[in-house]
Amino acid sequence: MLETEALRKVFNGKAAVDGINLYMEKGESVGLLGPNGAGKSTTISMISSLVRPTSGDVMLHGKSTVKDPSQIRRVLGVVPQEIALYQELTAYENLIFFGRIYGLRGKVLEKKIAEVLELVGLADRQKEVVKTYSGGMQRRINMAAAMLHEPEILIMDEPTVGIDPQSRSHILETVRRLNQEKGLTVLYTSHYMEEVERLCDRVYIMDHGRIIASGAKDELKRILSGEETIWIDLDRPYPKLLSSLQMNEEIIQATETEKGVKLIVPKGARILASVFQEAEHHQVQIVNVNVQTPTLEDVFLHLTGRKLRD
Amino acid sequence: MGTFLKKDMLVLVRDKTELTILLAMPFILMVILGFALRGLLGGDTEALHMPVAVVQLDDEQRGTEQFVDELDSIGLPPEVMAELEMTAAELRPYSLLENILTSDNMSDMLEPVLLDASEAEQALKNGEVAAVLTVPENFTYHALQKMLLDIGSGSELHISVSEYGSLSASLFHEIIDRFVHTLNFETAVSKASGDMATTSAEQEEMAAAADIGGIETVSAREPVSSFQYYTIAMAVMFVLYVATAIGQKAYVERQQHVFSRILLSDRHPLAYLGGKFVSATVIAFCQIVILFVLSSLIFRSFASETVAFWFGMAVISFVLSICVGGVAALLTSLTIRFNNNAVTIVFSAGIVSLLAFVGGSFMPVSEMAEFLGVIGRWTPNGAALSAYIQWMQGADAKLLLEPMTRIAVIAVVLLSASVFIFPRRRSI
Ligand SMILES: Nc1ncnc2c1ncn2[C@@H]1O[C@H](COP(=O)(O)OP(=O)(O)O)[C@@H](O)[C@H]1O
Ligand SMILES: [Mg+2]
Repeated sequence: MLETEALRKVFNGKAAVDGINLYMEKGESVGLLGPNGAGKSTTISMISSLVRPTSGDVMLHGKSTVKDPSQIRRVLGVVPQEIALYQELTAYENLIFFGRIYGLRGKVLEKKIAEVLELVGLADRQKEVVKTYSGGMQRRINMAAAMLHEPEILIMDEPTVGIDPQSRSHILETVRRLNQEKGLTVLYTSHYMEEVERLCDRVYIMDHGRIIASGAKDELKRILSGEETIWIDLDRPYPKLLSSLQMNEEIIQATETEKGVKLIVPKGARILASVFQEAEHHQVQIVNVNVQTPTLEDVFLHLTGRKLRD
Repeated sequence: MGTFLKKDMLVLVRDKTELTILLAMPFILMVILGFALRGLLGGDTEALHMPVAVVQLDDEQRGTEQFVDELDSIGLPPEVMAELEMTAAELRPYSLLENILTSDNMSDMLEPVLLDASEAEQALKNGEVAAVLTVPENFTYHALQKMLLDIGSGSELHISVSEYGSLSASLFHEIIDRFVHTLNFETAVSKASGDMATTSAEQEEMAAAADIGGIETVSAREPVSSFQYYTIAMAVMFVLYVATAIGQKAYVERQQHVFSRILLSDRHPLAYLGGKFVSATVIAFCQIVILFVLSSLIFRSFASETVAFWFGMAVISFVLSICVGGVAALLTSLTIRFNNNAVTIVFSAGIVSLLAFVGGSFMPVSEMAEFLGVIGRWTPNGAALSAYIQWMQGADAKLLLEPMTRIAVIAVVLLSASVFIFPRRRSI
């Protein structure tokens, strides 16, 4: 139903978004994954008709929304990366205002407000001024404000940045329910792999304004199907072990972690024996070993050579 | 519009700093300036009751006769002479002065007593009178000669005061000064109207004008008290801060992406601008009303005024508020267009004070250089201030048309500019 065609945006001669093609079907939950500065927000702003593309187009049901933004604005709910609320007003007053500019009035408005407050779980604190809320509560109201006019498509731009775990899981759970129970189409932007893994059917991975990989979660992970990740926890940091592992030709990549080292190795490689041998040799104690199939994080690392959260 | 207005009002009411600037500051300044400059404007003189001694050394009858006698020796045509004689008999400069000093309007301020020179000197020394006005010998004669024939240098009134620079003394000086000015003005008029060839009808008119003019300059206008003056002066100044407050809020909305959210609702972008205009207008009007009411309640600045009076005040306030709406709209347009609040900051930090100064909010325009006054009349606050003052002095409504038109013109210019500047595209 929604599709972008070679979407491009140039700021001051530099392409922030450089030819993005993506699509969303009705009822789908799509993830847009990428590190800070990848161009996710700019892409979203163009899709939601707030920023005019330098070139390319956004099509809703085959019609250009760049030429006629009204059609997409009616069906779109956008949860911006920023807290786009009046800090001095209460949650309730904010919702009244945003509901009214969408043309909602009277009983209908009251009902919708009660509904979205229920949805984000803040009904009991609606009369408090927004600026006194915790970051997580503000993000939840930020989301509620985008839901008042019953959008068909919900676009969320990093809705969980910098909030407490409770609010975070509340938001994630709400989005999952809206998608699965109400059939809402969701475009979810994040630089947290695990959120996208948990919520989204299909994922686009962005870097430097381009899509570097896309597909269903499993498809993407299959990029790494020939590899395994091994987490090895040591009793103390031991750089010499790391460097000797990095010399090992069988190991694709060895990196330091908080507790020890992380190895990416070809699937089926009999690597553990030699690792234990090295540890023995350097007199370090291995306290835990964990072999994992790859995550999207690993996919990103594999594709770009960088971690997502640098 | 109602939606935007309600929201803007709420946001403003929650902002304690902004409320302080909009309501508390003008009120405090009103109190300070009203007290400090009490008396300078001649309206707060109710309680003055200043005793003054008048030493009358002039003999009006004789002065007039002497003037008439001497007319013979100049050799004027007989008709002209007859007219001059009549005018002289009617002018009676001393009576004019006496009338003024004992008029109803003055009786609140002055308690004149006729004394002879030595008594007066004694009274002044003893502090029984605040000033002595000496009307010199031949005052009438010299005044008539100066006024009607422009011969000599006129006659000087002499004022002795016990306390130089005291408020009452300077006030008395001011009154007498204006009287002398009126006389001189009359001299100028009779000269300008074509030597002595004027008809007697014109002369009579002039004589009548002398009476009216003389009294008008000094006291026939309703006096404006300093509290009234500074209530108005501060209201027209601080109402401008409504515009900067609205402009600043627009900047916050832009920064915090609330503006994006409003765009996403698919409201026409100009609806937002219109909302700002209406909000600023309404808030400005409320602010003026609150200040007037406070001033009335606490200082009784506008006690016992009529409904017609308040209607006039409301009309002026409304037109001024619309103009403030225009300023707010322009600041909003610039802020949204350039995503920058520099203009709003400059406006609130400097331009408002400048406008207030040339518009007469700190001191009456009549006390300032003339070119400043001309600029001041073209500021919305200056024009409104003069409209208010004229209205309070009981001026005809027609006289208000001119300053009101100026404000309206400014408002239209500001609004047009803001619509022109506001980003019309539906995206940023
Ligand atoms: N309004 C703008 N003007 C100039 N540069 C911008 C603007 N918005 C974004 N950028 C630049 O575009 C790039 C992508 O930004 P953004 O879309 O916010 O990335 P993300 O949301 O993935 O973190 C960044 O380098 C950013 O500095
Ligand atoms: Mg972003």
